[in-house]
Amino acid sequence: MAALADIRAGIATNLATISGLRVSDEILDNPQPPVAMIALNNIEYHQDMRLGTKYNFTIQVIVGRAAERHAQRALDLYVNPVGNSSVKVAVESNRTLDGVVDDLVVESMPDVGSIQLNDTTYLAADFLVAVYV
Amino acid sequence: MAKFVATGTQVTLNGTDISGSVARAELVINAAEVDVTDFGSSGWTEVIGGLKSGSVSLDFHHDYGASAVSATFQDLVGTIGTVTMIAANGTAASATTPQYTAEVLINSFTPISGAVGDLATFSVTFPTTGEVSYATA
Repeated sequence: MAALADIRAGIATNLATISGLRVSDEILDNPQPPVAMIALNNIEYHQDMRLGTKYNFTIQVIVGRAAERHAQRALDLYVNPVGNSSVKVAVESNRTLDGVVDDLVVESMPDVGSIQLNDTTYLAADFLVAVYV
Repeated sequence: MAKFVATGTQVTLNGTDISGSVARAELVINAAEVDVTDFGSSGWTEVIGGLKSGSVSLDFHHDYGASAVSATFQDLVGTIGTVTMIAANGTAASATTPQYTAEVLINSFTPISGAVGDLATFSVTFPTTGEVSYATA
């Protein structure tokens, strides 16, 4: 049975293939953009008659101050379904996390917009990732 | 024993435990209705039990790993297989977790299924052949 820490670490390893993007497998108090943070949303137990489990994660990518045009251009690259900076491509680049899980998929990017951190408005996007164990 | 939530129905196929790929398990045992209505039935139909039959329905998560469930089914279509199920989340036959054993005709398999983005699954319903037995020890 995969440990949650191993799943987080595996997703972080996949994200780290994006050049220039800082990655944390936990929520940071003071993130320094551009940064991707991995947060567990919920767990769906009893997916089969043994230990089958579905983990749902949110990856929040904070690209920079909302007013900066380069932040918006960077976000365009992160949310793209293809390309070297695509979060989807990076996370799905090793879908079993080297055998830690059965499969994973980036399901959607449901939220994009500004967030407040330490009195600064940042541009950020959330990605939902389903992990099957 | 008390009411229970099904979380661990043990299912085997030809002696292999496939529970880890099973999301739903169902065994149905039926008896045919034989009509014995006559002029003495006072205006009501009367029936008695006829031949018994059964079916096994299972929902699976696809897995083509070596000896995994999808690979296992590929070569079994058209054959008679032995399915056992232990009720009530049991791991061994007992009075409160009876084990049912059925010979089934493996008459279908869906090797490709699933919508884009969804977990790949498949479902089967097999008719039983012969007696469905159960054991409590």
